[in-house]
Formats: sequence, C-alpha cells, structure tokens
Amino acid sequence: MENGEGSSSLSRRQLLRMIGAAAGGSAMYQAMSTLGFAAESPYQGPIDLQGAPRGASVVILGAGMAGMTAAYELRNAGYQVQVLEYNARAGGRNWTLRGGDRYTELGGHTQQCEFDKDLYINPGPWRIPYHHHGMMHYTKLLGIPLEPFFQVNYNAYLHSSGAFGGKPQRYREVKADYQGHVAELLAKATQQHSLDASVTKEDQEMLLESLRRWGALDSNYTYVSSDASSERRGYEKNPGGGLSARPIPSKPIALHDILDSGLWSGVANGDGLAMQTALFQPAGGMGRIGEAFGKELGPLVRYNAKVTDIHQDDRGVTVTFTDVRSPAAPQTARADWCLCTIPLPILAQISMNVGQDMASAISAVPYTSAIKAGLQFKRRFWEEDEKIYGGITYTDLPINNIGYPNSGFQSGGKGVLLGAYIWGLKAMEFTAMTPPERVQKVVDYGSQIHPQYHKEFENGVAVAWHRAPFSLGCFGMWTTATRAKHYDNLCQIDGRIALAGEHASFIGGWQEGAVTSALDAIGRLHQRAVGQGARA
Amino acid sequence: MRKAAPGLALGAALLFIGVLSAYADSPLFTSRTSLSSLNGEQIYDHICQGCHMPGGVGAAGAGAYPRLAGNKKFGSWAFVALTVLDGRNGMPPFGFPAGRGMDSGPAHLSDAQIADVVNYVRSHFGNAYKAEVTAEQVSALPHPSAELIGPQ
Repeated sequence: MENGEGSSSLSRRQLLRMIGAAAGGSAMYQAMSTLGFAAESPYQGPIDLQGAPRGASVVILGAGMAGMTAAYELRNAGYQVQVLEYNARAGGRNWTLRGGDRYTELGGHTQQCEFDKDLYINPGPWRIPYHHHGMMHYTKLLGIPLEPFFQVNYNAYLHSSGAFGGKPQRYREVKADYQGHVAELLAKATQQHSLDASVTKEDQEMLLESLRRWGALDSNYTYVSSDASSERRGYEKNPGGGLSARPIPSKPIALHDILDSGLWSGVANGDGLAMQTALFQPAGGMGRIGEAFGKELGPLVRYNAKVTDIHQDDRGVTVTFTDVRSPAAPQTARADWCLCTIPLPILAQISMNVGQDMASAISAVPYTSAIKAGLQFKRRFWEEDEKIYGGITYTDLPINNIGYPNSGFQSGGKGVLLGAYIWGLKAMEFTAMTPPERVQKVVDYGSQIHPQYHKEFENGVAVAWHRAPFSLGCFGMWTTATRAKHYDNLCQIDGRIALAGEHASFIGGWQEGAVTSALDAIGRLHQRAVGQGARA
Repeated sequence: MRKAAPGLALGAALLFIGVLSAYADSPLFTSRTSLSSLNGEQIYDHICQGCHMPGGVGAAGAGAYPRLAGNKKFGSWAFVALTVLDGRNGMPPFGFPAGRGMDSGPAHLSDAQIADVVNYVRSHFGNAYKAEVTAEQVSALPHPSAELIGPQ
C-alpha cells in the first residue's frame, strides 16, 4: 500500500480488508509468498575440488539432498566418504509415497499407502523451478526424466468460502477481471489528468494504449462484456464450427465483488520468482532423485544409523551411532572431517563439541509446521468434469490448496490429488490429529470445492512434518534478525565440523538450498583439508 | 548441546487415556482471531499434542519430543513458561507480540493463555504441581520481541 497520499475511501477499505484477511486466518497466500522470497540460485556449475589430500576422509551425516550432493562430489574428488542415514532409504525430505509404502510417524501411527500402481504423492518438495540450477544439474546427471509442473492453471480455482455463495471461481476469470478493472481505473485517472504530475503527455498516450491491451479494454478504455474481454476470461458460449459457431461473450465479475471476495490476493500466486514458468517435477515422484542418488552412492551410505554423539579432536571427528534395528550396541565412525546435514531440531539434541556460537545458532531456528495429504479417487473428475489438467487451486479453507496431478492426463483410470498443503497454525492443528482424522478433514473441506469428493474418494495419506521421525519439522524458519545474529555462525566451519542443509541457506524450504549449502560447505572444507595437507 | 529431557517412565494406562481423549472434543479449526479464546486444555489439544502427543507422553525418532508426563523439569513453572514463550531446540515460540507472528510459523498466545496452558500441563498427565501461575507472572518474564522477527 505505498502512496497512501490521496487514497480514496475504496482503497482505505481495501487496506482494512487486507488487515482483516491477514489477521483472520486466510494466511494461505502469505504462506506462499513467504516461500516465494527465494532468490535465484547462486549455483555456478559443477564444483571443482582438485588436489584432495591423499587418504583424507569425510563422514557425512544425513543422506538427504545436501548430504548426497556432498558425498557424490567428495567421493569423485578422491576423499574417502561414508554417509550415516537415520532412515532405511535415501532422500530425507526428498521423498515419494507410493502404493504399498508404509510410514510410521512419531507417536506410532502407521499409514499404509493404498494408492494404485504408478500413483503417488510427494509429502515434501514437489516442484523444481528452472533456475534452481543445482537441482537441474543433479537431476540431469542422475538421468532423472522431468515433466512440466504447472504452477499456474488458468482453469483451476480461486476459492473463498464466504464469497460467491462458496462457489469456486476460475483463476482465468478473476485474473482477467481484476486486471481489466484496474486498467480501466488507471485509464480513467489518466484521462482525468490525475496523473499529469507524474506522467508526461507523450507517455500518457502510450500508457493508455498499453492499458487497453493489458486490461482487454474496449475503444473507450472501459472493461466490459466483449470479445476482447472474453478472449481473456472465457466466453459464455465458446466459438465453434458450423451453424452453432457463434460465440456469446461472458460478463465480467464486478470490481466490488472481486475486492470484497479477497480473491484478488491469489492473482499473483505464480508471479514469485520461485513460481515462474518453467517448473519441473521428476516423472514418478520427487523421490526418484533421492533414490537415484542413493543407488549412485551404493555402499557409501549406511542406513538405519541414528547418530547419538559427535566428537572432534585435533586429528579428526568420531561419530557415535546406533543401528535402529539393534540399538543396544553403539558403533563409531571416524574421519578427518565431518559434514553434518542433520535437521536442527534433532542436531540440537545431539551431544557435539562445537563452540558456543554454532551451538547457539543450532538451537535458534524453529522449524515450521506443515501438512500434505494425498487422496486417491476412483476417477479423474477434475479433468473429466471440470477440465482442470494439473496446476493448483487456492482456497481460504484450512486445506489451503489442492494440487492436481501434472501427468497421466486423460488416462481414464484413478488419480491422486494433493488434497492439502498447509503451513502454520492450521498445520499444527492437523498435526495434532490422527492420520485418519486428517484425511477425513481434508476430504470434508475439499468437497466444498469439488462435490465429487465424497462419491469418488477411495483412500488417502496425510504426512505431518512435525511428526516426521527424521526431521521433527518441515524446514527452518529464519527471520531477518535471527539471520543477522546466527546465520554466519551456523555456516562457519567449527574445527573439523561443517553444517549443511536447507537450514544453512537463503533458499529455505527448497532443495536448492540444501544443494547449494552443501557445495559451499564442502568447498570450504576442501580448502581447509588442502591447507592441512595429507592426513596426519 | 542440550540433551532431550529424560522424563519419567509412566505406565501404559496413562498412554491409553491420552489416546482416547485425543482431539475428541475439538473438531473445529481455530483462526488467528479465534485462537485467542482457547483455554489451556484446548491449546494443548489443538497445538501442543501435535508434538508432545496425547497424554503428554512425548515421542522419539532421530530426535525426541520431551515427555511432559511426570517431567521433573516441570517443578519450575518458569522453565515451562519460557519454553512456550521462546520455543526451544526447534520448537516454535508462541510469545511474539500479537499480530507479529510469522505466517508460516508461530501463533500468538496471550500471557493469560500461556499461564493457562502451563497450569494445564503441570496439573495433568500425572503431573500434580499445585501452584497456579498467573498471567501477571508470565508477563514479568522476558518475551521474544518483534525485533526478533524483523521486517517481513
């Protein structure tokens, strides 16, 4: 709301509404933009780690994207590498649940994924922006086929339970009408000379012409029902062939109704840098990357290893761990250096002799709550009935959004939707439920947008990240102030120990943060190792 | 580094009671505004038990959520209150000023609510600390400041 000077009563009401929306729990779009702050990746191409000292060794804690990126590069550079991983699989939060998979969360509830063959849900990351160059590099290197991920689908919905009688509105219509009305207002202001002080006469002519094109205005610079506006928002009756060919233009939604509904806040959802076309998803699920990485590293990764103690001395680092299947007998791993990618809520509980600066940083980052639910339906009704092929619907209901599968279009059989993806308070509340309760709630709320839910629903899974035994949360929540105080201390090498992971990046919550932090950390570890020469 | 609170081993009966009472009476979602009307028990059921589990039994994986049931540290009400206010080891803080919670993170609880939830966990799950904490006592503790969030 810049330029409060001279704001009309309308814009003041808008402002009040924005405050009301922010305070009233429709934090959905804000959560999106919280993630959307991610800047373009600093990834500069394959890392060069020449001159590794003979026999130098690194123990890596965690076989997620950060740990496996580091293991792959350090191994190739000649280091002796071993990786300890708590889970029985590679990937960490890079993870796909498929039919037949079992998942036991903290608290003991086990979910059996009953999806049909080839159907899946990504409980963690689900999209890769094209400019996450590190992720793009490693998916190519590992031979992972990519599919387009539709962040924006003009035929998906924006939904406000209190507006338009609860009926979801097509993104296409809301965007076209919001843009058209704004263009008309701006054209009016220009013609009434309200902008004379800030726009020259010549520029005003160009501005008017650009507004007509941008907003699909008519020759009088008004946004009305017309072929021009219908070419944006869709027709009442689409043009066709033959005798029934004539199109009937549609009627725009009034500006007041768009402002009043709050749906305007979803118009820019695809404009954030991290959400801009093109985005990708690995065919068969995001977990394909972690699986391929694990296969590539083979016996370097020791699974089912729960780290209990990390101790460094002048000559190296000793990591104590137990095999979760036989926890009675602690074992140790010893190396010259340690790269630790363990999520901070877990690391904060592990005894580790680092300085107070790093220790304070480790304890200073709360982890966000997040929920994802996957729902299998008997048929792909969103495609068959509503012509929604991929993309995302946004709603102010507690489910926040519905993600449609971006592959398998028109396959005729069953389909799996992302039924909810939620952060913050509502995610905490979903976490506090049992998995079957979560799935039931997700189905109930989603049926307000797609009435077909109740008839077509078959089974579902709901992953609450605060109950993930291997992460104890979704991702680290930094603030400007905590970054200023702790971020460098977290990333600084302490003796022989360096940390990496999305928590040690400015691309929080994204896999690219894990990859770039790992490359940055091993680059610095390598320099230190080279500086110290061969193993003492 | 802080070790996970060891907690006391309690019988299976307590666990069973906790599971039965899980979320049974609170089917509705709160919003940031209606959150302010929740009492200590409701706050526990809606928020805390996501990690600390029904019955306050905690949980352990690669790391652990401390067991609240029979937790010796609960002898200090200030320890519990400060944990809710500031968070601890990855736990989100709930003591930010109203309206300044992070969107994807902590929600604001008033001092009275924090006192209420502290009293609730110190008098349930086998804990039997009698002394009631007041909103005034919580107010007197250091709170995370808005500066900790910084400009958004």
